[in-house]
Amino acid sequence: MKSKVWLLVTWLVVIALLSACGPAPTPQVIKETVVVTKEVEREVVVTKEVEVAVEVTPTPGPKPFEGIEVNILTFTGPQIAEPLQRRGPDFTALTGAKINVIVVPFNELYQKILTDMATGTNSFDAFVFAPQWMVDYIVPGYLEDLTDRVKADKAIEWEDIAPFFRDFSATYGGRIYTIPLDGDFHMAYYRTDLLEQAGFEPPKTWDDYLKIAAYFHGKDLNGDGDPDYGSCISKKRGAQAYWFITDFAASMIQSKGTSQGTFFNTKNMEPLVMNEAFKRALELYKETTKYGPPDELNLDVGDTRSLFTSGRCALSIDWGDIGTLAIDPETSVVQDKTGAVITPGSTEVLDWETGKLVPCDEKTCPYAIDGVNHAPFAAYGGWSGGINAAADPKVKDAAYAFFSYMCQPAQSNVDVTIGKTGFNPYRISQFLNRQLWVKAGMSPAAASNYLGAIEASLASPNMVLDLRIPQNQRYQGVVLDTAVSQYMAGEITAEQCMKQIYDGWEEITEELGRQSQLEAYLNTLGVQK
Amino acid sequence: MIAEHTSQEARAFLVRKRLWQGFTSWANRVAGNVFIWPTVLVVLFLSIFPLVISLYLSLSHLKFVKGGFEIRFAGLANYRKLLFGSEQEHFLGLIVNPSPTGWLVLLTVVAFLIWSLIGYLRSQHCSVGGAAGRIIATLIVSLLTWLLVSTLSPGGRPGTVVVTILYVFVGIAAQYLLGLGLALLTTQRLPGSRFFRVVFLLPMMITPVGVAYMFRMLTDTDKGPFRPIWQALGLGLTSWVNDPWGARAAVMIGDIWQWTPFMFIVLLAALESQSMELIEAALVDGANRWQIFWHVTLPQILPVSTTVILIRMIEAFKIVDLPNVLTNGGPGTATESMTLQAFITWRSLDLGGSAAIAYMLLFLVTFVGMAYVNLVRRRVTEV
Amino acid sequence: MIRYLFTRRSLTTPSYIEIALTYLLLGLWALVVLFPLYWVFTTSFKLPVDVNMGPFYLPGIDYKPSLHAWHYILVGDLSRDTRRNFMNTVIVAPTSASLALLLGTAAAYGLTRFHYRPRLGAILSFIVCMIIAIFAITLGAPWQVAAGGAFILFIVLLQTIGRRFKRSLENRDIAFWLISQRMLPPVAVVIPIYVLFQRLGLLDTRTALIITYLAVNLPIVVWLMRDYFSTIPLELEECAAIDGASRYRTFWSIVLPLSKPGLVATFLLVLVFSWNEYLLALFLSGARSQTLPLTVAAQNATRGPQWWYMSVLILIMIVPVIAMAIALERYIARGLLIGAVKG
Repeated sequence: MKSKVWLLVTWLVVIALLSACGPAPTPQVIKETVVVTKEVEREVVVTKEVEVAVEVTPTPGPKPFEGIEVNILTFTGPQIAEPLQRRGPDFTALTGAKINVIVVPFNELYQKILTDMATGTNSFDAFVFAPQWMVDYIVPGYLEDLTDRVKADKAIEWEDIAPFFRDFSATYGGRIYTIPLDGDFHMAYYRTDLLEQAGFEPPKTWDDYLKIAAYFHGKDLNGDGDPDYGSCISKKRGAQAYWFITDFAASMIQSKGTSQGTFFNTKNMEPLVMNEAFKRALELYKETTKYGPPDELNLDVGDTRSLFTSGRCALSIDWGDIGTLAIDPETSVVQDKTGAVITPGSTEVLDWETGKLVPCDEKTCPYAIDGVNHAPFAAYGGWSGGINAAADPKVKDAAYAFFSYMCQPAQSNVDVTIGKTGFNPYRISQFLNRQLWVKAGMSPAAASNYLGAIEASLASPNMVLDLRIPQNQRYQGVVLDTAVSQYMAGEITAEQCMKQIYDGWEEITEELGRQSQLEAYLNTLGVQK
Repeated sequence: MIAEHTSQEARAFLVRKRLWQGFTSWANRVAGNVFIWPTVLVVLFLSIFPLVISLYLSLSHLKFVKGGFEIRFAGLANYRKLLFGSEQEHFLGLIVNPSPTGWLVLLTVVAFLIWSLIGYLRSQHCSVGGAAGRIIATLIVSLLTWLLVSTLSPGGRPGTVVVTILYVFVGIAAQYLLGLGLALLTTQRLPGSRFFRVVFLLPMMITPVGVAYMFRMLTDTDKGPFRPIWQALGLGLTSWVNDPWGARAAVMIGDIWQWTPFMFIVLLAALESQSMELIEAALVDGANRWQIFWHVTLPQILPVSTTVILIRMIEAFKIVDLPNVLTNGGPGTATESMTLQAFITWRSLDLGGSAAIAYMLLFLVTFVGMAYVNLVRRRVTEV
Repeated sequence: MIRYLFTRRSLTTPSYIEIALTYLLLGLWALVVLFPLYWVFTTSFKLPVDVNMGPFYLPGIDYKPSLHAWHYILVGDLSRDTRRNFMNTVIVAPTSASLALLLGTAAAYGLTRFHYRPRLGAILSFIVCMIIAIFAITLGAPWQVAAGGAFILFIVLLQTIGRRFKRSLENRDIAFWLISQRMLPPVAVVIPIYVLFQRLGLLDTRTALIITYLAVNLPIVVWLMRDYFSTIPLELEECAAIDGASRYRTFWSIVLPLSKPGLVATFLLVLVFSWNEYLLALFLSGARSQTLPLTVAAQNATRGPQWWYMSVLILIMIVPVIAMAIALERYIARGLLIGAVKG
């Protein structure tokens, strides 16, 4: 019976595809497996080399976007660019639109996009970028509003996307501007074998984290005879360090849900840095350095990931990448020894009025788990596709169709299991579906662990939204980053650091206009005032 | 009939010849202009506009608003921020009272400057323009020395200006001495010197971004090739990254490695083309090697040396790739050069702030360049 | 015996000890130069695990060499980009270097043989008109109109106000102005240049890069060749002039051949600068005209620097330049600039 259903479905799919392609150059035989743990059973088998391409709104007859070329700008891969380039030809076969993926070095992407649109050059029709930047593109009116298209699009299965990404990350002021392709948020990673041996539970609070790190620091953790490290966190200036400090701070500053925010006071745009919580965060952050590699201050996230996957760290904090990198035999020796857990939290949170830390209870921490307030930080926002408002209408339609295609479960669910793509899970169906991950190389236990952590983070109503006000790069990348790195280097004290951030942020807010910045901040938090 | 015909032709020919001669002699007269104008036009075309726009940007604030962006004039706000405002510690450094050695250095320098100024003012060829220039130069040099001394004293912290000046002067000195030494060694026609000449050119040929990443690989105390040495010295658990001077040293070593070939090749050529007669004559007269070098060789290569030092100095002030890739300006702000600070500011779209830093750098380099040309190069060459 | 080793064998030939010492020092510096390159070479054959697990020095012995990086860059996913960028670099760098050499040498010759006395008034009016023209272009006027209008304004100003300022500059001021063009860090001028080329419709073309590199490298050519020309004796040219040769002929047939070594060396230097330039290429190129240094920098993505890919790219970039250096090295030896012009 089961095999008959399988056969029937495959035939239906093949027919749908053939009719959709019309005079396609190569008849595409797709076999793809998606096992959903619900009543619906659709089994399709995945073979690695053959491309997918199903479930797209089958368009019979002449292809809708014949002759259209879409120029998409992103950064040099293989992350992010590779899946776009790989699936481009399939999309062309389906719809006739040609997809050109243009890449620039990662550090220059933000500038390039903005300069291209602001100067009216418009040589790119669409972009894959970080939603954190989207405010700078939306306010001047450069980015296309996609709300209506998304509402009319059934195939994209918008409701399947985790609430955080679809309601916060992709929207601004209640309107949708980007299509999520990737889910970015921080988690804590640990060596399951080491913690089990020593009898530790995965860290729940930052104090647990430090305790475990202290225990393992200096021991040989990968059998090569050299002493290894307790905790590896990227602290390099100008890299990703300024997100990690927010992991520490937000766990104490935000406890009442995403709309509370963690960067500014929602009443008057005052920076939330001159308080006990931020001071404590700085101290904790500095203490992790004691249990890290000697040059941790110069390590960026690529370095710490390599260290973890070569077995030299007991703990780390990272985006979802360590999970998929750990299963790659080319890069990892900790294949079945990697566990993930929601970022450690705190049993004390900040009282916004007094600036002091108070213990966690039902009133102050409504979303606490076992009395600990967790605030998983969706740093960066998750690579998403956006469309240039000044592009040709037909090209815009084609670009939207492509992003929708990339986002649809049939494509997306495969891509997120491959570490090389740089896409991390963001759809509910992706982590309910352990089979995909097992096929990709994870052991069932590891898959459950990894996906369980993702689920816990995504399900948290207290997820932290990254800063998305105009010129947020100046706030974070310049002021926060410089001050924190000076503090870590010992150039300034914690108080001086907090004051420097406070003054720097206030200066920018004054320069850009406090009222407009406050409005923008409230808009990104989805707060209606 | 035939005679008329030929005379007509002859006349036509003569007219053409005269026109042609007229043209060529006119062309010859304007040869001077023909030689120089293409260059001047090309450089003007691409230099005036950016210069003026950057100047305007440095005096304004950029903001993105509905419908596009606006550039609001803000006067000297960006400069004030750098010199007196929130960026002062970052830009100039943490200024403290100089230590006793610091005071000594400062007073010596100032005394020397005043002495030479007085000497100039009392001399024959003193002019108003020259005097004004000298006075300004004296003031600026004193200010810079004070800045250097007070930020480098214990308790102070050098800002990007001081770090940049450090990179330039230490780097140029080392590169010149190394380049000269290597050139002297290779001019001796030893077998195999051709191999060395090509090999020594290599570092300069690698793209600066590539060199920066290469050095990052090398200086990695964990994965880099020097790990055994590091561990043998007992420094396995420390890292040069955490020490400001260690980090600065790493940047300077990378810079010297990369740019010594530039000095080397130019000085080598200069040494190769010395006139051998002078040297032989000196040898016959009984001069020893050191005297020959000092009195014969050095004066001959001095003009080229000054040119190459000027060119290299102007480039060195713009150092950005090495500190950016090695440490991103860290630890803290220890290795950040002025161009790197401008770059970081620019990346976050604070175009006004970035232009202000770039213009401060321009002032500094112009000042140093003019001082150098006037003091050193004019004495050495006629051009 | 010891003494023998130490004594010089003739007035100009060094002693054996000196030879040994020379070789030692040269060898030391050669080691300093070659070791980092060797490291890059071995890294290009390493797997990511090999790089991260610690320093491995000898391929085959310490670790198993793999061609995955070479494959990726030359044949695999990145090969299309690599090929295109390589072609762009190969076209842009030598072209702009040759043009720079042509214009710059002419200007250098001019600066050493002629006396220019540009009047301050003329210069100021020229600059003012250029600024007006460029502003008109950026505000959207078609460039032919702007250029024409500015030219007319210039002539007018020249005749009226220009005459007032008698003070004139000299050759050395022109030279200093040229070298001062290199003093402003590129980061400040990138966006204005971007806007300028956008208005001219030249964005993302190789032409834009060639013109920009030309303007940026001209000062270097002028300064380097100036020193050289000032040592070529004037008598040669005076003879030629008496014989009826025009200045152009003298320049082309007499002066240039004599300065071949300097020309070649300057060409090599400028070629290297254009070949390796990053920031301007980044900004002026889009999909079509990217150059190789961008690909090198791009290997540092969100995953951290991909050392193996970067190493391959660095090696690919050096090879053509080294080949050219080896071929041209003998000219350099004979004289970057201060020429031994012996009859």
